[in-house]
Order: sequence, then structure tokens, then C-alpha cells
Amino acid sequence: MPFFLKTKKNLIILSVLILFHLVLISIQIPLGEEGNYFEKVIFSILSPMQHGVVSFFRKIGELWNGYFDLRDVQSQNEKMRKEIFDLSQKNHLLMNYIRKLESENETQDALQDMYKSILPAHVISLDFSNYFKSIIINRGSLDGIRKDMVVLDRYGYLVGRIIGPISLKEAKVQLITDNDSGTSVFTQEKKIWGILTGDGKGQCLLKYILMSEEEVRKGERIFTSGYDGIYPKGIDVGKIVSIEETTDLFKKIIVKPYFEFRNLDQLAVIRINFKELF
Amino acid sequence: MKNFKEVAIGIILTFFLFTVLLKISFSLTQIFNVFSLLVIYFALSKGEVYGAFLGTICGLIYDSFSLGVFGVAGLSKTITGFIAGYVSRKINVTPFLRRFVFIFILISLELILWTFFYSYIFKEKLNTGKGALLFQPLVTAFIGSLVFSIIRRLRRKAFQD
Repeated sequence: MPFFLKTKKNLIILSVLILFHLVLISIQIPLGEEGNYFEKVIFSILSPMQHGVVSFFRKIGELWNGYFDLRDVQSQNEKMRKEIFDLSQKNHLLMNYIRKLESENETQDALQDMYKSILPAHVISLDFSNYFKSIIINRGSLDGIRKDMVVLDRYGYLVGRIIGPISLKEAKVQLITDNDSGTSVFTQEKKIWGILTGDGKGQCLLKYILMSEEEVRKGERIFTSGYDGIYPKGIDVGKIVSIEETTDLFKKIIVKPYFEFRNLDQLAVIRINFKELF
Repeated sequence: MKNFKEVAIGIILTFFLFTVLLKISFSLTQIFNVFSLLVIYFALSKGEVYGAFLGTICGLIYDSFSLGVFGVAGLSKTITGFIAGYVSRKINVTPFLRRFVFIFILISLELILWTFFYSYIFKEKLNTGKGALLFQPLVTAFIGSLVFSIIRRLRRKAFQD
């Protein structure tokens, strides 16, 4: 084939590929929550592979750590016994308190449901473009994972919620630090309500607090309000680290989330879809 | 069929390497663009059509593991792959230094395209990972030139044997 014809043919192929991408991008704008069909397929094929690689390295790490952990297992045991004792006491006190509020059967049922709904999970991947946006966990539809389920870190602080795509053993989690996330929250002291979004750099912004509002203070804790119908009321989110006066109608309030990216290996998925309860 | 196998193995190995790098540190994936290197490698060895197709595949893989609009990385990698294959037929990029500059320019171009599409669609600034992303062309070009030279030597040696 003459060179100019071959080049023309190649340019046509390039044009088709560019057009394909442009169509792909266009059909997703305005930005929707639903994942693209191609995206779901690629995710379902490749995420198990990633899962396997990460699990393999985790096993090696566990073997390695297991050897060294044997050395100070005695002191660790004592420390853990003390922790278990403290937690049992707290649990006992809470149970007693709850019993005062409801009948015993109702309390037991509610607690059983809650315990069963907690599913431990591990992070297998971060967002390729910006790690403050999303993560991928090693739980999927086979574990009962569904969209909008709440994800907490190992200490019970809010991390985010499940979004699509969800494959058989993997799922994507939108972090509260993502710019496109939105969480209804209130402040600890005066219960001032606002919307929390991510700033894309690891922190969050508490929005829609009027400039005239004087009762929001630096260092105050932020909790979920439950008004968004996704996150239940009362989950610890973070604390206010700065409040800036602006020329706009609203203050610029920066919230540092409690969850740490460094400790984001182990998570808990709450397998109750709070959206359906509302 | 042989080409298809090579491409499939290349993608799997790249994905494996990317996952390992991601597990070690996210910054490593920011300074070393392993997917683009694969695209450039096939564009150099098999031409611009392969480069463009592989750019599409690798870009879409990249997009499916990130939140947002699916196809942004695909578009920039497709264009880069095509240009890599097309230009490499016009100029000789075999010498180490020339190949280094060539990859450096291509990765920079891809980064510019990706940043442009990302900023245009999301209306937000890209997270550069405290500037780590800006070192991507330099680091990827250096590692790429080195790896390509090693592969070339190994192939030559295998051919001589």
C-alpha cells in the first residue's frame, strides 16, 4: 500500500478512536453517579487481579510481621487484655443505658442486627488520578455490598460511602474528601447544620455557614446529621481546623477528617442501607 | 495472534507492576507513568495504530480505577500513542539520549493533555501530589530509556545466540 494511503488510513483510525472517547465523555456529562458500562466491565475484569496481587503481598507481609511479632507477644497480650476490659466496660454501660430507653428484646434485636451488619474490609487500591477521591475495597456484591452503604475506619470515624462499580468481590468507595461528595453534618456544641464536601487535598470544607453565624468555633467536632439519607446521625467526621472570614455570604470553614490516610488499610462497611430506612 | 498475545501480556505485566507500585506508595505511581511507557513501547515497535489502540485500552483501564469521567485518560493516551508511533517512523530514536528526550516530550505532552481535559471537565485543579507529578516526564523518560535499551540488548543477544 502506498505510504500516503497508509497514513490516511491511520489518521482515520485515530479520528475514530478520538471520536469514540469524545462520545464516551459526552454521554457522562452532566456528571452522573451511574458508572459507564465499559467502566463496569473493565473494573470487573481487572479488579480481581489487583485484589490477588495485593492479597499476595499482604500474606507475605503477615508472615514477615508474624515472625517479629512473636517476640513481643507477651506485652501485646497484656495491652490487649486491658483494652478488651475497657471496651467491655464501656459496652456494658452502653447496654445498660440503652435498656433504659427501650425494652430488652428490642434492644437485643437492634444490637444483634447492628453487630451482624458490620463487615470488615481492606483497601486494595487507591484512586489512580487523585487518592483523596476514592478507594477500592476487597468486598463486593457477594458479601452483600450495595450502593450507598456507609464505610468507617477501624476507629469508627466516617470514611465515605459505597458507589459503583461494584464487582463480585470488589467495590469502589467515595471518600468524604472527594470534591463531589456531600455529607449533611452539624457542629458539636450549637448543632449548627451545614454540608461537608472534600477539597480534593485531604481535607473537607464545611459549607453554607453564614458569615453572621458566630457560634462555630475552631476545634469543634463535626458529626453526621442524617438529613442526607445516606449517613446515619451521630457518626464522628472530623474537627474544624480553621475559620476564615470571606467577602461572600458564607464563611470558609476547613474541617480535618478524623480518618488518616496512612491508617486506611482496615475498614468497616455497615451493611445497612440507611437510604432505604428513611 | 502473536501480536495480540504480546499486547495482552504487556498489559497484564504493566497492571501488575502498577498495583505493586501503588501498594508501596501512591507517589511512585505519580512520578512513574508505567502505562504510558507500555503505550510508547508498542508504538515504537509496532507503529502508530498499535500505539493509539493501546493508548485507548490503557487509558480506559486507568479511568476505570479512578472516580470521575470515564475516557479522559483514554483520550490523552490515545493521542500520545499515535504521535509516538508516527514520529518514531520519521526520526531515529534508538540512541539513549535521543530516546530519553523523545519519551520526555511525549510524557510531558500527555500530562498537558490530561491536565487540560481534567481541568476542563471537572473545573478543578489536578492534585499534583506536592509537585511529584511534575517529575513524571523526567523519571519516566529515564526509566523508559533504560528499560528499552536493556530489552534491545537482550533481543540482540538472543538473536546472535
